[in-house]
Amino acid sequence: MNRLFSRSNNKDSKKQPIVIVSGLPRSGTSMMMRMLAEGGLPVVTDELRRPDSDNPKGYFEFETVRQMSEGNVSWLADSGGKAVKVISALLEYLPSTYSYKIIFLERDVQEILASQRKMLLNRKEAEMGDETEIAAQIQKHLSAMKPWLVRQPNIEVLYVNYNTLIAKPQPVCAQVIEFLDLPLNQTRMLAVPDKLLYRNRIAREK
Amino acid sequence: MKTLILGFDSFDPNVFEELAGRNQLPNLEKLSQGGRYSRLEVSSPPQTEVSWTSIATGMDPGGHGIFDFVHRDPATYTPYVSILPMRKSAVGEQFTPPYTTTTFFEAAADMGYPATALWWPAMFPARPQLPVMTLPGLGTPDIRGQLGVGTFFSSEEETKEKTTVVKLVAIGKNRYEAELSGPQTQSREGPRTLRLPIKVDVIDQTNARVTIDTQQVEVTLGEWTDILELRFKAGMLFNIYAITRFIAVSLQGVVRIYALPLQIHPLHSTWHYSSSNSFSKKLWKEVGPYLTLGWPQDTTGLGDGCITDDQFLDLCQKIFDRRIQILSYLLKDFQEGVLASIFDDLDRVQHMFFHNRMDIVHDWYQRLDRFVGDINSQLEGWTGKYRYLILSDHGFSEFRKKVHLNRWLLEHGYLCMKNDGNDLSSVDWSKTTAYAVGLNSIYLNIMTREGQGIVSAQNVENLLDEIKSKLLDWKDSDQTPVIQKIRLKHETYSGPYTRFGPDLVVGYAPGYRASADTGLGKVPAISMEPNTDHWGADHCVDSDVVPGVIFANRDLRDFGTISFRDIPFLAIGKHLDPSNIKPPSQAPGQGQKDLEERLKGLGYL
Repeated sequence: MNRLFSRSNNKDSKKQPIVIVSGLPRSGTSMMMRMLAEGGLPVVTDELRRPDSDNPKGYFEFETVRQMSEGNVSWLADSGGKAVKVISALLEYLPSTYSYKIIFLERDVQEILASQRKMLLNRKEAEMGDETEIAAQIQKHLSAMKPWLVRQPNIEVLYVNYNTLIAKPQPVCAQVIEFLDLPLNQTRMLAVPDKLLYRNRIAREK
Repeated sequence: MKTLILGFDSFDPNVFEELAGRNQLPNLEKLSQGGRYSRLEVSSPPQTEVSWTSIATGMDPGGHGIFDFVHRDPATYTPYVSILPMRKSAVGEQFTPPYTTTTFFEAAADMGYPATALWWPAMFPARPQLPVMTLPGLGTPDIRGQLGVGTFFSSEEETKEKTTVVKLVAIGKNRYEAELSGPQTQSREGPRTLRLPIKVDVIDQTNARVTIDTQQVEVTLGEWTDILELRFKAGMLFNIYAITRFIAVSLQGVVRIYALPLQIHPLHSTWHYSSSNSFSKKLWKEVGPYLTLGWPQDTTGLGDGCITDDQFLDLCQKIFDRRIQILSYLLKDFQEGVLASIFDDLDRVQHMFFHNRMDIVHDWYQRLDRFVGDINSQLEGWTGKYRYLILSDHGFSEFRKKVHLNRWLLEHGYLCMKNDGNDLSSVDWSKTTAYAVGLNSIYLNIMTREGQGIVSAQNVENLLDEIKSKLLDWKDSDQTPVIQKIRLKHETYSGPYTRFGPDLVVGYAPGYRASADTGLGKVPAISMEPNTDHWGADHCVDSDVVPGVIFANRDLRDFGTISFRDIPFLAIGKHLDPSNIKPPSQAPGQGQKDLEERLKGLGYL
């Protein structure tokens, strides 16, 4: 039996996982980043993108994240135990040498599109194009993400529904803290979800 | 890491879903809630040894090299048993492992965890150099090096299709004698079969005393004896030990006594039966004797009419019970690592009863459900994170028609015989472009690959398309398609072994399966015939027809389609590295007669 245990000792890495907040743009990722920051988790952000009317409480972004697709991942070495926002399209570029806990925000696709439409309008940018086609592409992207994420041995995922978070923040917040297994300040976190910022809701049947 | 895996060979999703829907499998149904159950995509072809090896390695056959029960040596066209290959060495012929690709058991051990595989197919002979505890499953030979047939003693002249029949010679009133043939040894005069004298004293209509050499055993009509330990003297200082069970089938009028195939004795094995060597001995001593043949549920004895349905089912139950006891013994001290145990009684029961006695089949699903309930109760005491998987290698289907694929190839001009023979030795290779060996395999007779190949490289693709198209058009007399899907090798397999695989993987439609003759490369007179055997159901059809199942103590819904490729990850949280697969070499084949002898105990062929 002893030989079984003499081969290697590479059982459990004690390195802290990197906390990733992910999802589609306008799915509540900035709010989640702010919750984590309020809870006491260090966040990786350069604050290059300033708060605006679309995100009055800030974007919590880190510009270098976009360079992952070009191979710039060295910054992740210092990100253990911190939170960083990575949109879902970039998750595949996370190197497998680190472990990650991903909080993935889910939101009704029509609400996301409405929010993005409004953002473009505020910025006086071009319209989005065929929304039906975009919605189909988004659904396709999301339906491929889950099977991919669940098969990554270095990734744990917690899916958080944006609408549930806004409606019932307390249980979702508790879930997040349990998932991260960190002593975060729940009271401060709970102060973040703001129903007033839930402006792009789709009409629901009563 | 702490992972428990229960492998239920042939556990069928359709039967499960039907019975669970009627609340007849409460423990499994409870386990399945919250997305913890899914159908499992299994590898092609859905044969037991192929599928469990694909599950253990996370690779299709192109990654591990087991494509079918029977492979062929392309140089000589000689078929050989894929799960029991032999190689000549300085000390004579020896069994070699059927594959060397890394399993998740080895990966777990490599990470520093103990790993145990119980009754997993294609794990004989044991690899003592690997730090994985194993008791091998399907593919473990009997004491003669074959897949195992029993001995039928009768006071009348009788014949059986596969089983060895030995005449009980009357030597007095209610007194008979015979000999039990055991293993072969080599002597100066050539091979010598070792034998033990048998005496039968019929006491009354339901009791007899059997004396085997010097050992006396009381046998009761219709009841299996305990496991018997036999000793064959092979020389002055050399004995070969075997184990078996006897059963008195008839004691009134004609005396009939049946002995299970002589099996490896774990305490005295001359082959690498288990890993470690002491593991099997410890279980024997601590838990009790157990049968060691890879296919211990004697479907051949039942198919040959040596034993009755009830006696067969009683044997299955005894095997099931002892395996549960062994697993329970190991579970008591299971702290970490991987512990996996395969239970294959259901597979044997379904082969014999799926087509006409679903009540028996359903009863076995319920037995497995109760077993799961017992295991679940034990797991309630576990603390901390652990993984718990229940899975099957494939489902099940009817087997109404036997397909003689070589006859079809002959009728369509792809295969040509040079004389009246009916096997591959009689094929005219100079006029043959395709041939079938194994239960789901067609090979082209390719120039430079096959010993007498005639199909040039530039013609391969067209020929494959042509045969595929014609096979898919093949209809039975009632217009039912015989073939559901034909898979091309390079579209189906990936990995360094792919080049050794069959060029076409034949996926039979439900109700159809390759005949045993096809498996052995034979060419009978007709292309199809009704299956009237006791072996009336099977799974060697198209893999889409017979998906497996998976239950887990986690939500499986995010996976989408779950396949055998996902099992290593689900078992140990890690994908296996395909880059370390060693370049393969073909194992040599055995002669045709030897092949048939070896496969007799395997009901498929």
